[in-house]
Amino acid sequence: MKENRIGVYICHCGGNISDYVDVNKVKEAVENDEGIALSKTTIFACADSNQKEMVEDIKEQNLSGVVVASCSPKLHLLTFRSVSERAGLNKYNYVHANIREQVSWAHSDDKIGATEKAIQIVKAAIAKVKLAEPLEPITVPTVNAVAVIGAGIAGMRAAIELADAGSNVILLEREFFIGGRIAQFDNLCVSNETGKELITRLYNEVMSHENVTLYTGAELVETSGSVGDFKIKIKVTPRYINSHCAKGELQKAIDVCPVKVPDEFNFNITDRKAIYHNYPSEYPQLPVIDMKNCTRCGECEKVCSSIDFSQKEKIIESNVGSILVATGFDPYEPEVGEFGYKTIENVVTLPQFKRIVHYAKDKLLYKGKLVRNIAYIYCVGSRQLDGENKYCSRYCCTSNIYAAITAKKQFGNINNFHFNRGIRTYGKQELLYDESSRMGDIYLQSFEDLPPTVESVNGKTVVKINDYLTGGKELEVEADLVVLVTGMVPRKDNSIEKLLKIPKGRDKFFNEIHMKLRPVETVIDGVTIAGACQGPKNIMESMNSALAAATKSFSLVDSGELAHEPIVAIVNADNCTYCDLCSQACPFDAIQMIEYNGKSIAEINNSTCKGCGMCIPVCPTNALDLTSFTDKEIFSMIDAIANHS
Amino acid sequence: MENHYKELSYDVLVVGGGIAGGEAALNLANIGYKVIIVEKELSIGGKMILLSKVFPTLDCAACITTPKISEIDRHSNISIFTSSEITKIEKKAEYEFVAIIHQKPRYVHIEDCTGCQLCEEACPVNVEDQYQYGLVGRKAAYIPFSIASPRVAAIDIENCTLCGACERACPTSCIDFTQTDEYFRLKVNSVIVATGFKLFDPLKIPRYGFDRFKNVITSMQMERQLAPTRPYNTILRPGDGKMPDNIAYVLCTGSRDKSVGNPICSQVCCMYSIKQAQLLMGALPMADITIYYLHIRAFGKGFNEFYGQAQEMGVEFVKGKVAKIKSADNGNLFLRYEDFEDGIVKEAEHDMVVLSVGILPNMGIDDVFDGEDLNLDEFNFIQQSDPLASPAKTSIEGVFVAGTASGPMDIPDSILSSGAASAEATSYLRRIKS
Amino acid sequence: MEGGKVNNGPKILVFSTEKISDPAIDMAGLLKLHYPPTVYTISVPCSSAIKPIWILRALDQGFDGVFIAADGTDCPYSESCTDNTGKIVSNTMEIMKSRGMDPARLKMAAICSVCSEPFVKHVKSFTEYLKNHSKN
Repeated sequence: MKENRIGVYICHCGGNISDYVDVNKVKEAVENDEGIALSKTTIFACADSNQKEMVEDIKEQNLSGVVVASCSPKLHLLTFRSVSERAGLNKYNYVHANIREQVSWAHSDDKIGATEKAIQIVKAAIAKVKLAEPLEPITVPTVNAVAVIGAGIAGMRAAIELADAGSNVILLEREFFIGGRIAQFDNLCVSNETGKELITRLYNEVMSHENVTLYTGAELVETSGSVGDFKIKIKVTPRYINSHCAKGELQKAIDVCPVKVPDEFNFNITDRKAIYHNYPSEYPQLPVIDMKNCTRCGECEKVCSSIDFSQKEKIIESNVGSILVATGFDPYEPEVGEFGYKTIENVVTLPQFKRIVHYAKDKLLYKGKLVRNIAYIYCVGSRQLDGENKYCSRYCCTSNIYAAITAKKQFGNINNFHFNRGIRTYGKQELLYDESSRMGDIYLQSFEDLPPTVESVNGKTVVKINDYLTGGKELEVEADLVVLVTGMVPRKDNSIEKLLKIPKGRDKFFNEIHMKLRPVETVIDGVTIAGACQGPKNIMESMNSALAAATKSFSLVDSGELAHEPIVAIVNADNCTYCDLCSQACPFDAIQMIEYNGKSIAEINNSTCKGCGMCIPVCPTNALDLTSFTDKEIFSMIDAIANHS
Repeated sequence: MENHYKELSYDVLVVGGGIAGGEAALNLANIGYKVIIVEKELSIGGKMILLSKVFPTLDCAACITTPKISEIDRHSNISIFTSSEITKIEKKAEYEFVAIIHQKPRYVHIEDCTGCQLCEEACPVNVEDQYQYGLVGRKAAYIPFSIASPRVAAIDIENCTLCGACERACPTSCIDFTQTDEYFRLKVNSVIVATGFKLFDPLKIPRYGFDRFKNVITSMQMERQLAPTRPYNTILRPGDGKMPDNIAYVLCTGSRDKSVGNPICSQVCCMYSIKQAQLLMGALPMADITIYYLHIRAFGKGFNEFYGQAQEMGVEFVKGKVAKIKSADNGNLFLRYEDFEDGIVKEAEHDMVVLSVGILPNMGIDDVFDGEDLNLDEFNFIQQSDPLASPAKTSIEGVFVAGTASGPMDIPDSILSSGAASAEATSYLRRIKS
Repeated sequence: MEGGKVNNGPKILVFSTEKISDPAIDMAGLLKLHYPPTVYTISVPCSSAIKPIWILRALDQGFDGVFIAADGTDCPYSESCTDNTGKIVSNTMEIMKSRGMDPARLKMAAICSVCSEPFVKHVKSFTEYLKNHSKN
């Protein structure tokens, strides 16, 4: 048996722990335990000075194991493992005890109880570290390729960056045309560039890279493997149109198609055919036949030789080292009757309004009527009092004010009434708010618990508000058009989330590991997130996050090799009688049967084992353990907490 | 003079060692580039390392910053120059920049100093501590702050009396008054500007009485009072050391205010004030906190929920514009403000006032560029030449911007913008090969 | 310690999972959602990796209850996690019954990565149950 020389460090966390846990008492409770070579308290265990001290201690005192009792291991397990490594101690001889999130903060109402619990938690960590074995990381080769899901602006920008840096990129777009929401929003503030122009620029750059492969009408349908080497299956739906075609013929085919369905690209304010494109110059520049709505009447085939109904769905398989998810958002769809939506004729959403302005010529007409008074109702679907969306959608104040200014400038003679809940044009966007006020836009603010109402009175649409800014006076505006300033919500289609198991936050958007330390990574190793799928963002913010995510994905696949944690199942050959239950329980096909000393036993493939441990409880002869979580280690921790001394 | 330059060569120069510069440097170092960080202060970590906790998670700022800082500090691909300034950057050709670094003497050998603080005890000079924003004093021989990196002493030569007490006290003889200014000529392929921001100086609004009334402090001073490494170990009003029980926040001090030349919103003040209010309610359970605001900009992930939490905790939010602050004999303060709810001018008494000061550009970096101009925007932040598609690009190809050097932003946005700057730099550097 | 332990409420061992339920328990602390300090956590990679003998060991060593904060449908490893953990729990309960132990001293609930409030509710009500059904 090796001699234990354990070092224990108990962190004050500058008061976060020591205000509630008597750290000296914790130190005293363990310092005389068997095998403890030193125990100390420290103001900030993670501070550089303490890290240096730990390195010296480990070397000078020849420590065999180290415990730091501080914050959650999610923050600093890796920090202290690397301290151990720097001092020449195997990093798996380090054990972390969480006495902040799970002790001092959780029991800030009970200092004595918290101290007592901290002692037990530290004792359990000491018990574990005494049994910890040194382990070496398992290295796996990485594929220098990244799958980017979603070819909106964030996905395209990330793809360009990855390709520039030298990775192969598979860029997937579920729709048949790239560009995502920005193609639909088109008029952009901050820049004179339109959404379409921005998309054209990005698309051309994407296509100029030989190492990017773009699939449209493509869905990720299956993934296996893990960081460094994911195997992915992509289902590609055909366009039913050959790429070589005469343009004029295609337009004829669109013209003759008898089917009419609401055009989702225009947020249903117009119709389209079953053979369609979103707008004349979109990418890729080839229409598509929407087979869900096509009646197979054959009219298009008669006028166009490019139509090809024999095209088949394809499954493409590929290997990538990382998956970058940039699936974007959905605009909030108001409930029927919410501020008159779908019950009063001239109530539309902000995305619809943008399309209306986009298609209007010299006059702003809605359903044939001239629009002069526009009422904008803010925070529809955001900052909800009763609903689930408690968050602010961040982009809508600015986006709407810009749309309102644009309409006023373009058509003149427009009165804008902003029914808001406190305008949030943060940063430089403030100037836009200022400009709109100077242009005579009227701002009316509702009380938090008293939203404005939209009513139809004698054929007129009236918006009423108790205005906060005039001491609660009831004011009303007769509006020709009511615009519901709808926020961002997570995509309704949650197939990617289910497939990749990306966790969601309280706001139901994809959750990062840590907003400041690891803002584009998810708990699923190798899966990064970019753009509005992580939370509402404007274009610039989406681009920043796309580039940050590309950097992270690139650093994973670039090295050619990744070390993964040596937490794997281990077989006790003496006990194993190979019954196959473990291999059935394994989600990763990491267990095979081998012959060993004249009998069949299970063998673990260390490079595919993920260390989940699902196999270990199913073994009828208890022949399986998990490294770092062996029966011995778990028992020692249980016994230490149970406190049988 | 020319031959006094020591020659250096790196792949990327990062100007500014705050959290944005540090993050960009780490990203680049992790994929194999050699990076040099030049920081004008004595420690890296910028403003963030001095904060108390961060919104909306209430993680302590030190807990997030210090491990990053130490990762930067010991990364084999990163060199750090503190108390150093860039005096010139010239673009000779694509991928070829030459910069001059001026390193001011610290009068301490960094390698030998153990941070024992005996020199501090020995030093007889007392001056205002700039890292505690003037709340307390420090010595002329001093360690900048307890979690500084490097955590070693420095001599403030302007205030030093050359008495020699520190030299005698130092057990490792690391104090060296013969150190002089040093100059380096640095060749790099690309530059990242992460020069951060400065805080609005409330002396520019005399009617708020900052400096005249001791119990009017800035939000950064309150931040220091709330930090784990805080000067008083509790919350005190500086005028008389009384524990305040009725604190007011004046938002938009120096932001959204054309009269002081800054029409834009600083993006962080609402949230940091709400955070401080929550922390104060924890530290001083009996205290009343009132926040005077124009609009609450709680727009980021989890921010609006955080705002709601403060309301539930009992923080009072008053929509109104503070016109003037007057002092009473007992040190209390009277705030005259227009209450927007009824349009009436009112007066309220508080025993401490915190001015939530805004974010302004750190000037001067454009002046060091020689040859090609580094363009600024109308607010003197660094202009983003392609804000929608490449937010980190500047007017000079190969020079990228990270963090608040391009405009106000919070920490998560700064970190993402650093990701963008390092990504753009990577693409740029990769093109050298082709 | 003289005079016995300070924390004399029912002692509960929680098996949490590193990626899913442990972050929720962390967040309970962050949000200062208090729960009894006699609730201790041992974190494992996945709730389907918990061996019945671990649970029995805890109960034998003096824990009044064991709570499994399961991955549920959020499990990053396998969709069958809920079923697998369920089987472990029912198997263990059978053993407990055969030994004359109250099977309700073992409890399981899926705790997602942001389920801080449900976690606190569960351990509080479990504590109440164990108080009212103490071994004596």
